[in-house]
Amino acid sequence: MSRHLLTLAAAATLGLAAPAFAQGVGTVQGRVSDAASGRPLPDVQVTVADTRLGALTNAQGEFSITAVPAGARTLTARRLGFQPATRAVTVAAGSSVRVEFTLDASALNLSEVVVTGSAAPTEKRKVGTSIASLDSTIVGRAQSVTVDQALQGKLPGAQITQNSGGPGGGGMSVRLRGTNSFISGSDPLYIVDGVIIDNGSSQLADLGTRANPQNRLADLNPADIDRVEIIRGAAAAALYGSRANNGVVQIFTKRGSIGKPRFSLNVRGSSNELREQQPFNLYPFDAAGLPLARFNYQDDIFQRAFGSDANLTVEGGNEQTRYFISGNSMAEDGILRSTSSRRSGARVNLQQQLASNLIANVTANYVNTANQFQAFGEQNDYGIMGSLFFAPTNVDFRPVNGIYPLPPSLGTNPLLAIDRIRNPQNIDRFIGSTKLTFTPVTNLLLDYSIGIDNTGFEQRQFVPRGSVLGTAPLSTGRSQSVFQGTRVINQDGVAAWSWPQVGPFQLRTTGGFNFTSQRVRITNAVANGLAPVGELVSAGSVFAAGQSEVELRTLGFYGQQELEWNDRLFLTGAVRYDASSTFAPSERWQAFPKLSAAYVVTPNRAGAFNSLRVRGALGWAGSQPGILNAYSQYVTFTQLPFAGRPGFVNDVTFGNPDLRNERAREWEVGAEAGFLNGRIGAEATYYDRLVSDLLFFRPLATSTGFSRQFFPIGSMSNKGLELLLRTTNVDRPNLQWTSTVTYARNRNLVESLAIQDFQSAGGYPNRIRTGQPAGVFYGSYAARNCLTGALLLDSLGRYRRSNQTVDMGATAAQRRAISGGTCNDSLNAVIGDPNPDFLASLLNEVTLFKKLRMRLLLDGVFGNDIMNLSTRAQNAGIASNSKEFERELLPYGDPRKLPPGFNARTQGIFEYWIEDGSFVKVREFSASYLLDWAPVKRYFRDGIDLTLSGRNLWVWTDYSGYDPEINLFGTNAGGLGSGQTTAADRGFDFGGYPIPRVWSIGARITY
Amino acid sequence: MRSYKTLALTLVCGACSLDLQNPNAPTVDQVTTSPDGVIALATGLQGRFASSYGNFAYMAGLVTDEFASTSAALISISDAEQGAVPSGTGIADNVFNSVYRTVRTADDLLTGATALAAQFDAGTRSGLRALAFALKAEALGEALQSYQRIPINTLGVTAPTYVPRAQALPLVRSLLDSAAATIAATPPSAFFNASILTPGMNLPNVIQIFRARYARMAGDDATALAAANLVARSGPTALSVLTFPAPTVNFYANVTGGTNGIAPRRQWRLSMAPQDQRFAYFVTPSTTVSGRVGALLDPWSRYASPQANLPVYFPDEALLIKAEALANQNQLAAAQAALDSVRTDCTGGRGLDDPKACLPALTGSLTQGQLLTEIYLQRRYELLGTGLRWEDTRRRNAIRGPVAAPGVPTDGQRCWLPYAIGDRNANPNATFTALPDPVEPAAFPAGCPTT
Repeated sequence: MSRHLLTLAAAATLGLAAPAFAQGVGTVQGRVSDAASGRPLPDVQVTVADTRLGALTNAQGEFSITAVPAGARTLTARRLGFQPATRAVTVAAGSSVRVEFTLDASALNLSEVVVTGSAAPTEKRKVGTSIASLDSTIVGRAQSVTVDQALQGKLPGAQITQNSGGPGGGGMSVRLRGTNSFISGSDPLYIVDGVIIDNGSSQLADLGTRANPQNRLADLNPADIDRVEIIRGAAAAALYGSRANNGVVQIFTKRGSIGKPRFSLNVRGSSNELREQQPFNLYPFDAAGLPLARFNYQDDIFQRAFGSDANLTVEGGNEQTRYFISGNSMAEDGILRSTSSRRSGARVNLQQQLASNLIANVTANYVNTANQFQAFGEQNDYGIMGSLFFAPTNVDFRPVNGIYPLPPSLGTNPLLAIDRIRNPQNIDRFIGSTKLTFTPVTNLLLDYSIGIDNTGFEQRQFVPRGSVLGTAPLSTGRSQSVFQGTRVINQDGVAAWSWPQVGPFQLRTTGGFNFTSQRVRITNAVANGLAPVGELVSAGSVFAAGQSEVELRTLGFYGQQELEWNDRLFLTGAVRYDASSTFAPSERWQAFPKLSAAYVVTPNRAGAFNSLRVRGALGWAGSQPGILNAYSQYVTFTQLPFAGRPGFVNDVTFGNPDLRNERAREWEVGAEAGFLNGRIGAEATYYDRLVSDLLFFRPLATSTGFSRQFFPIGSMSNKGLELLLRTTNVDRPNLQWTSTVTYARNRNLVESLAIQDFQSAGGYPNRIRTGQPAGVFYGSYAARNCLTGALLLDSLGRYRRSNQTVDMGATAAQRRAISGGTCNDSLNAVIGDPNPDFLASLLNEVTLFKKLRMRLLLDGVFGNDIMNLSTRAQNAGIASNSKEFERELLPYGDPRKLPPGFNARTQGIFEYWIEDGSFVKVREFSASYLLDWAPVKRYFRDGIDLTLSGRNLWVWTDYSGYDPEINLFGTNAGGLGSGQTTAADRGFDFGGYPIPRVWSIGARITY
Repeated sequence: MRSYKTLALTLVCGACSLDLQNPNAPTVDQVTTSPDGVIALATGLQGRFASSYGNFAYMAGLVTDEFASTSAALISISDAEQGAVPSGTGIADNVFNSVYRTVRTADDLLTGATALAAQFDAGTRSGLRALAFALKAEALGEALQSYQRIPINTLGVTAPTYVPRAQALPLVRSLLDSAAATIAATPPSAFFNASILTPGMNLPNVIQIFRARYARMAGDDATALAAANLVARSGPTALSVLTFPAPTVNFYANVTGGTNGIAPRRQWRLSMAPQDQRFAYFVTPSTTVSGRVGALLDPWSRYASPQANLPVYFPDEALLIKAEALANQNQLAAAQAALDSVRTDCTGGRGLDDPKACLPALTGSLTQGQLLTEIYLQRRYELLGTGLRWEDTRRRNAIRGPVAAPGVPTDGQRCWLPYAIGDRNANPNATFTALPDPVEPAAFPAGCPTT
């Protein structure tokens, strides 16, 4: 079979088995049986590749497909609980051809062909690493706004987090096998149809300095997606060289299918709501016991918001040309009033056979995303959530004579912000690619592709005069316009040669190159001192402007040798040789080798234990410090204009002329096994990754006039286990029920650092510290009695703060006297860990009478800590709006009464704000019904598919804030000083945008 | 291998070089090898000087009796106004870090002016060098008024050594002497004065007041007197100011609001002699403004406008130094006359925009001790917000220890700042073991050991 491995694989990917320019139609008939028992299999779906033709087998396992276009065709048979099988047939016009299928029982599909990480199309069972793939039905049924949302809860080893609940997807971060870098971020490399795309999440104006309201993957329309392949680690990703340390997510969009044009319309309406209000201090008395009116602003800030999504696709084609055209319009309002997101786009995918051995694939996708956001998170001057948490509840924010009162000490009036502050964004994006596939001889495959991702991102911000507290310049109003142009050009070439078979051995040699140029240009204009009317920069009277331009180029070559023996043992060795313009010429060229092996111990057979495959891999990959640090190798001067003249001073960040990339070594071992005649499939992987030469700023002696230098500062490991279990619980003609369980645990550890520790998020109590997981919470704690472990209280019953001399005394002796031991000697300590102990999910799918499909996805994160800085803000003296502060106001004698100053004291005790962030969410629920009554089918050939679905419907958690999933920090890494953030900054809840509960109802009509 | 790479590069794309230029920031070579770059360094130096001077004056005012935090200020600022400056806070580090950035840029300018000597005319070269000497000296002088020991050789070393004042002060003075000698030998060119020196600054006067200041600190009364006499006391060159055209903002306006907010303590105004008019120059009297921990404040009037200029020195400082040097030399009548010219400076006076006391002349002949006390008092009201108050209290053995709110401090509250964490983190000569933080006095009032 293996001689034509390449051709078959290419056929599966490209969809054309062989050059054939036939006319007319024929019939394909056949029978499908169980490979183990030989019994006929009913309800097997047999489809003809590249067409929409297909049929189900009857009780005798027989099927018949008519009107199949003549020519070489590929048939696939699929059934629940069995491995899909593929057969090549040649259909002659006007005649009938017979095909026999035997299917192997298995809950896991290892016959799928993947391309990510393997240079050329390869069946999964031959790959020595764990590769996940999801097809369009899984992405489509999630009914999500973005692709990354659709992946939540479906991949073991992937922590996919929605950092904010804003419209247009919220900011998503995808973390495969833990945190693997500090400065290079945590996100994997994203590739769409062979184009490396930009998934930046930086905001161009201050919407909360380090907040993440949207990442640019949100520009992709989930309905266009055919397949997603995910490789999680360095061992699998070595072929992506210096950018693959965080894994690779490759997305393929839909291709057309042969046949008459088919129109498909998919419409969906959704309703988003705040899942649960937070309790606020509504106690009708003040600290002196005098009556006081209090207000619950949540009623005015949040709303039930509606969204709609419409997709129209047309696909069709013939032997030479296939097309897929789609148009999409999505509109969604946020649950925070005055926020919204709109996306509209179009796509044309075209495949054209240029010659019998040359095929061109062209994709073109244009999208416009228009958002209206509001600042949240750290933005306390005009952020709505910050203002909510920092404003006392006794201020009446309703406008008087058209003027909105400002809060007493911090922030803005949230009603004013909703009414008058504007942050519109407009993103125009084009992603296009051309791929040429040339097979000059059967054994040689040549691929060349070139792609471009061009994004024009404009953000404006308008803060009217007098709308925030404080002094000039912000109080005089601000109008800002920032334009960012991002352009990624990517070129890839692959050549794969399949050697003639020698005895039991089969060999394939692959080589290729990749060149990527990424350029970001930003121009920025800001005005203060705004005129009373006018929102644009031109309404200002004091101006500032800025411009920057960055380019990063990466060039790489690779070679790979595959060897297979008897279709049982598969060995692969490869090396990528990579260079990036970011790195110093002396360190630039780096080799990333990999080795992998897979062995089929037990091919599919009948019985309780019916299949086993084992695999192992070792590989290296790198990461680059991101485009914002693309020039870190240069020692530069920076502008310091003074008194209206241009001036230069040394950049206090000293360049590193020896800069080199971060380097990860990973090995993984794993197995797939089938039980009970394939009704249970299990997959397990253990991995061990060590990332060394992690880049970060090391401090330089400030007496030299410098502050820091980008430097290989340490190493970090991630070790973990990923499990997946897929079961067929019930398989009856009118009832099918399957379950999928995933479990993943990861242990992150900072192995070594050149300095003792450093603050991870500037201004926040978390650290990168040797011997601890990255991003642990580190700070003051409530002192305890060393003997009894009880909390130490002062005379008023308040906690004692570990790093306060008022509470603990000035000397070590005094501290020990108070503590009864040495347990409170350190001023600060590790007080929590935001990294979860494990992640788990459970998906149940039930199909009734072949028409009603129901699915329920539970997604959970366990054992992670959250620092609840939102409630800390509520407890601050100026705000005093929390339920806990209310207890201070209660009359003496009330058992809930807290001593005066209790909450003022806890402000400084960071341990007090750590909570268990474990949760289980009803991530997805859906029920679909196929309406295929005759009257309906008369107009709509395939019937109408109706779906009721929900996302994030319920949450089980002990966490007291709005949502345990949101995080103050997004996927950005970088920044300096108080603006610094790294990939390890997780678990901070501070003025986040709550994630809404979404109900939606949709219909799909095809004709 | 190289030829293989070249071949491959050519095949893939002819123009995809991996050696990219950074268009956002010039490299060292681009700046230090061109006359324009070196001239821009001179502007950058003055910008950094403004920042280090601002940081010094701000911090010194907090730990003495001049300033207190406004209501929204950070906790570290309200701690500092009560005499507490924990290691690692911005208050402790900012002076050090910004001073050594100024020093670095001064050194870069000296290197550039020397390397490109042939490309500058003699007067321009002289001006560039004198400017670098003077501002480096003053920056180091600010450091040694804040830290017990400071590094003095920081160029080309990764681990600078800390030295006591006895070694640092002579260096500061010799830098100033070099500055004075440089412009005495070759006066700065018209081009330097018009296009390089920041508008509003007069270099000869700045050099001489700095010489007088550090000569006095070293107890060299003769030099202090001679230098003070060389500082112009009237006419347009008698003022030297740093200017802040929009959108730049002067240091005090920048820190007035928000988390760094400070304002003069009301006690500064209330403690004046009733006729003293100098408060009107600096503050807007208030009966209502109070700060984060309850200190009573008067908002700035002098620096309230974001574009208000920042004096490099007040001209009457020269008179006060002169009076002190004369008093120390027992020339009491002359000292009293110099002091009276400060006291009687009144509207119209010498035609300068400086504080005007409008006080009557002293009556009778004061003793040396009375004169020195009176000089100390006049310096308090004449030199608000210059940071000089701290060294004055140190010199008078008037460090009175931390004063917790609602107490109101008089004189200085502590001797020194803890050493900067930024240097401790990376300089083996500045670790906690190698360089323990100075021990604050145990009994008050106290002076401060300088070794």
